[in-house]
Formats: sequence, C-alpha cells, structure tokens
Amino acid sequence: MAHDFDVCVIGSGAGAGPVVLTLAEAGYSVLVLEKGPWLTEQDFYKDELACCRRSVYTPQLADEQHVIEDLDSEGDWVGEATFDSGWDFWNGNCVGGSSNFMSGFFYRLKPEDFRLLSEFGPLAGANVADWPISYEDLEPWYSKVETEVGISGKFVGHPLAEPRSTADFPYPPTHEHPIAKRIDSTCQALGLHPLPTPRAILSRAKDKRRSCEYSGYCGSYGCSSGAKGSARAALLERALATGRCEIRPHSKVYKLVSNSKGKVVAAAYFDADGQTQKVGAKIFVVACQAIETSRLLLSSTGPKHTNGLANNTGQVGKNLLFSAGGSGSGDFVYAGMSDKQAEALKVRGPFVNRALQDWYYINDKTFGGRAKGGTVDFLLRHPNPIGKAMSVKWDEDNRLLWGRPLQKKLKSLFTASQSLRYEIFCDWLPTDNCFVSLDARVQDKWQSPVARVRIGYHQHDLKVGRYINERAIQVLEKMGAQNIRSSVSGSPPQNLVAGGCRFGDNPGSSVLDADCRAHDVDNLYVSDGSFMPTGGSVPYTWTIYANAFRVADRISSAL
Amino acid sequence: MNERDKGISRREFITRLTVLGSLAASYPALALERLRSNATSANEQDWLDQDPWQTIAAVQQHLFPSGEESPGASDFRAIVYLRNSIENPAADGEDKTFIVNGAGWLNDLSRERYQRSFTALDEPEGETVLRQIEQSKAGRNWLSLLLTYLLEALLADPVYGGNPGGIGWQWLEHQPGYPTPPEDKSWFKLAAPVRYQRKG
Repeated sequence: MAHDFDVCVIGSGAGAGPVVLTLAEAGYSVLVLEKGPWLTEQDFYKDELACCRRSVYTPQLADEQHVIEDLDSEGDWVGEATFDSGWDFWNGNCVGGSSNFMSGFFYRLKPEDFRLLSEFGPLAGANVADWPISYEDLEPWYSKVETEVGISGKFVGHPLAEPRSTADFPYPPTHEHPIAKRIDSTCQALGLHPLPTPRAILSRAKDKRRSCEYSGYCGSYGCSSGAKGSARAALLERALATGRCEIRPHSKVYKLVSNSKGKVVAAAYFDADGQTQKVGAKIFVVACQAIETSRLLLSSTGPKHTNGLANNTGQVGKNLLFSAGGSGSGDFVYAGMSDKQAEALKVRGPFVNRALQDWYYINDKTFGGRAKGGTVDFLLRHPNPIGKAMSVKWDEDNRLLWGRPLQKKLKSLFTASQSLRYEIFCDWLPTDNCFVSLDARVQDKWQSPVARVRIGYHQHDLKVGRYINERAIQVLEKMGAQNIRSSVSGSPPQNLVAGGCRFGDNPGSSVLDADCRAHDVDNLYVSDGSFMPTGGSVPYTWTIYANAFRVADRISSAL
Repeated sequence: MNERDKGISRREFITRLTVLGSLAASYPALALERLRSNATSANEQDWLDQDPWQTIAAVQQHLFPSGEESPGASDFRAIVYLRNSIENPAADGEDKTFIVNGAGWLNDLSRERYQRSFTALDEPEGETVLRQIEQSKAGRNWLSLLLTYLLEALLADPVYGGNPGGIGWQWLEHQPGYPTPPEDKSWFKLAAPVRYQRKG
C-alpha cells in the first residue's frame, strides 16, 4: 500500500522535534500534525497579556479543557472541569509546543535515576520501577542535545556530577546576575556545592538563531531572538530546510485509525476549517505531551484494540508523573544597602543560573536512612508586573484594596526590595492515584471526550520536599533575606508532566518497549515524556529531547 | 529598521538600563506634568462624557487617584484601556455586560442614598457607596474586575491604550521587556479567531 508519508508525527514539541529532524535528515518524508497555530520569532514579543493573561498560546477552556480529579474533604475523588475551576492545564499548543515557553533549566538525570527501585527499594503505595535502559545508553543522546538544541553552561566536577562523554558544554554560560556570586559565597560558607545551571539558551549565535538578548523575560514568553532551544527554533526549522518535512498547524488529531491486523493506518484529524481529514504513513509517532498522548491512545480504539491503542494490558494513562517539591522566596530590602549593592540587585536581564544538588540523595538517620532527594534551583521573582501587582489587590482581611493604600503597597512591592526565589524538584512517585482516563461527560469542541486526570500524590513526596525546603531556607537566611516564605505541597505543577505510557520490558506493566515502540502496535511510537517510569528530581525537558533523539535512531533503523 | 532587526547587544542593554534609571529619577513631576498637559482628543471626550463611561471613569479615579507623585487612573488612561479591552471584537461580552450593568446599579444606589449620581459625590461619599457595594458578592466581583483592568491599564504595554509612554512602569521603576509588541501583534490579533478569556 502506498503511504502519504514515511512518518507522521502528532505534536511538535520537545518529544517531536528530534524525531522530525533526524528522520527528515535521513531522507524520509515526515508530516507533523500540530493542533495549534504556527507562531515564530516574528510573533513573540514581551507582552504580558499575550504571554500570561489571555489564552493566546493555549486553547480557550470553553473549547478544550480537562477534568481534574482530586480528593475532597470527605476523602472522595471528585472531578472538576477546568473551565469551571479556572485551573488551566495547557502548556503551549503551537508549533514547537511548550518548549517555546520553557525557562530552559536543563539537567540530566543521574545514573541512579534509571534504577530507582534497585537503588532505594520499594516504597509502599508507590509503583517505582527501574528503566529498561541505563544512563550509559542515554548519555550519547544527552550530549547530542547539547549541540543540536544548544545548551550553554559550564561543567563543574562535584561528587554527584553525571558522567559525560565530552569535556564541557558547547556554549559558555549565559550572562549571570550579580546575585549569583552572593549565592556562591553563602553556599560555600555552608559547605554546599553551588552549581551553574545549564540552560537551553544560546549564549552566542547558532545558524539563524541569535544569541540571548537578556531582556529579562524568558520563562512563559516566546523567544524573540531564537536563542531559546525550543523544538521549533532549534530543530523543526532545520527539518523544514531539508525539503522533506511538512508541518500542518491547526490540525487536531482525534483518532489513530488501526486495521484488523492491529497496525495504525491513518491519523484522523480536524483541519483549521473543522473538516475531517485522514493521512496515512508507515510509522506514526505520538508526542502530544503526557496527558494528551494518553488521551489520544485511549480514544483510538480499533478492531484489535478495543480499549484503545497500546492499551491491551490496560496500562495507558497509568503512573502519570508531575514534579514534586515546592518553592520559596525571600526579600533583599534596599534600605540599609549601599547604592551600589542595591543597583546590583535591581539589574534585570542576566540569569541567576544557580542550583544545589547536595541533597539529591538524602543520607540522614533523622530522615529514615538513605533516600532519593532532589534539586534546588534559584531564580529571581518573575518580572511580570501585572501578575505581581495583582498579588496586592486583596488585603490581609480579604478586603479589596484601593486608593492610596493600594498605591503605597504597589510602590513598596516594586521598589523596596528584590526577591530571590528557589524551586525544589523532587521525584513525583508514581502511584495508582495519578493517571489519565477519558471523561464520560465533558467533551472538547470537536465532541471528543476530554482527559480526566487524577492528581493524587504520595506522602513521601512531601517528606522529601520539606526536608530539602528546610535546607533551602537556611541558604536564604544566611544570605540575609527577609520575609522568607515557602510552600511544599502535593499540588501538581501542570507544566512539569511525564509518564502515562511507561516503557519497560514487561508488556503487562508497561505500554512501550525499550525503544518506545508500543508493545502491541508494530508501527506506533511514543516519543514525548510519557515513556518515563520515574521522573528524576529535575525538570524533564533535556531527558525528553535526549530520549526522542534515541527513539528517532530506532525508528530510522526500523524504516 | 526596528528593534527586532537590530539585535540588541549586552552593551545596548546596559545603556537601556541607564536610560531607564534616569527616567525613573526624573519621575514623577516632569513626566506627570507632561502627561497631564496633553489634552484629551475631541473624539474621546464625546464618549467619555456619556454613561456608563463617565461613571466608570469616576469609579476608576476613586480607586486609583492622581497624586503629586503617583499617576491616577486618568493619567494612565484606564478608561481608554478598559473600553478597548471590553469592546474588543475578540471579547466574549460577558465582562462588558457586567461592567456596564454594574455602573447602572452603582448609580441607583448613589441616588438612593445621596440623591445624586456617583460622579457628583465627593470623595468620602464615594468611598461609602463603594464600600457598601463591596458587601455584596456581585458588587465585590464588579470592583475586583475594575481593579484588575486598572492594574492592567497601569502596567500592560502601551499598545493596548493604557500606560501612556510607560508612565506606570516609570512610577514603579519597572523595566519592561523588549521587543514590545507592535499594534499588529497585539494578543487579540495573534489569538484570532478566539473568544475573550481572562486568566487569573
């Protein structure tokens, strides 16, 4: 049978870009179906309304939403549609996906992250599993991401540094904020090892992409210079240049059609006009970000897959992961500082780029012995002024604030201090209470059931988060920060999501094999973060990119 | 050549910081004076003199009064921003209906209590009426919505009609990002065709 394309990729973010580029460069014809619009550097400006206060890069919740299932006060799981709650679970639906809007804190997992079960043993109530591949298997692909996507940084040897096949990063670190030196000296005085955070941000030009321009508005914003290593800027643009890649925006795939032999034969989608279309390919690759990938597979029933594609053992959607941990911040009040000190703190543009991994493993009797810990990353408070101003709209008694008192508070909030934040990244343990299913009631604008996401967490996650939080607070205290506040909770950060189609050697407990091919569908791969059985204690994007390059290599061999 | 084509070097960035710093230093007297001496255009005056805009503008000014050192709602054209936002074809109309109806209810209450519309009240009377409507859920939501649009008018990019010349940013010594959006890349043009939805 003649195929329209060799490969059809659904989604265009970090899980898709490496597959698209690798296969197009290898001479295969590749079609990308992306639900959202095709925005580029010509559309990305530092506009808080577009970025963060209106639905521009994500769908209107009235059109497309989720149902989030959480425990109520009675201890029952209750679902609430996000249109009703306002809790938006979208992260960036456009060509390049949410990688357009990431901050680009890039970390590798550590070798032990690939064998969490063997290293730390089972934990009651958690479905911890070893990966079917090792760090050594993924290392070459981590290295490839450094050059292909463009990662800036400086390798610093330390007790927990991951083994590297190259000496250092291909791009020097981005410019650093003056506060980084203060973090360094404080941490060193505390006997800690402050590490420069690698960033998927170019510190010098690469091909058509310009170097970072240090506007100070990075995370949540589309990049105007092309420096941010989004899948679109770094990979898809180059795939297009081969002449063998086609990207169709506004193409919402609602079903993968499979035949009586159990092979996928077509992707069925709605085009920009709402008309249904079908396209065939030899191999189909799903990379819609974890929740939507599971949703698409569950929606794609067929003669051999009555419960959805790749779901013959009922594993699709299970063991969804977020990132556990929390965050905190402290203020450095300008009053009492020299002008020079204050001016240094006020600088906006360069990055803080500092992290601590001293508690990546916890070896502490008071904690209960050896355990997996996490990462602390430091950053300045987000510069978005409207979001910041909104935080003082209500007073302590929950009354609206206006007039002079509001103006006074705004003036103080903006001009009296600089806030240093930290974020804690810990493993979100996989459990039976964190998964994706199809909602029986709520549909999107195309009449497809939306994803219903149960967001249960494991209590151990909070224990780890609190342990690290106590130590992060000490850093801020030692730095002289005031008004330190922090929170550790089991509330999932919707932008750090993985799992749902874990890979493994046993089809009874996993969806994908070690190559990220579906156990029960020969020509179906999943290349986004869905494959991860455990998440590691860092943001996922570098690992997603690396694995997608690895999967692309396997697909190339299979074609 | 626009800002985007030039590419902005670190050196230029530092220069920008300095420029912004000096603007902030000369603020507020000069910038405010300049702003307040700019007469409103005749076209604007036409609709500003009519309700509901007249009442809403008065409420905005009460919520965010002009001071010697701080811009008030009229200085940062909060009413123009609000009108642009809710009359936008991309808006779904829900906010507009609520805001317009609310202005009517406020005047009803004002007349009931003081036999005058809100625009004719003095400052303490205005405060009394607004704190009274804050007691009801709808009144509270209405004021909260107006405050949200006020803060947006103060700090959103000037392309949306508020924050003229970046007066809000200057007042709060806030350094905006760059490049800033040109008119043809405003959010509702990028998002079209969509309905209006506010986040947060």
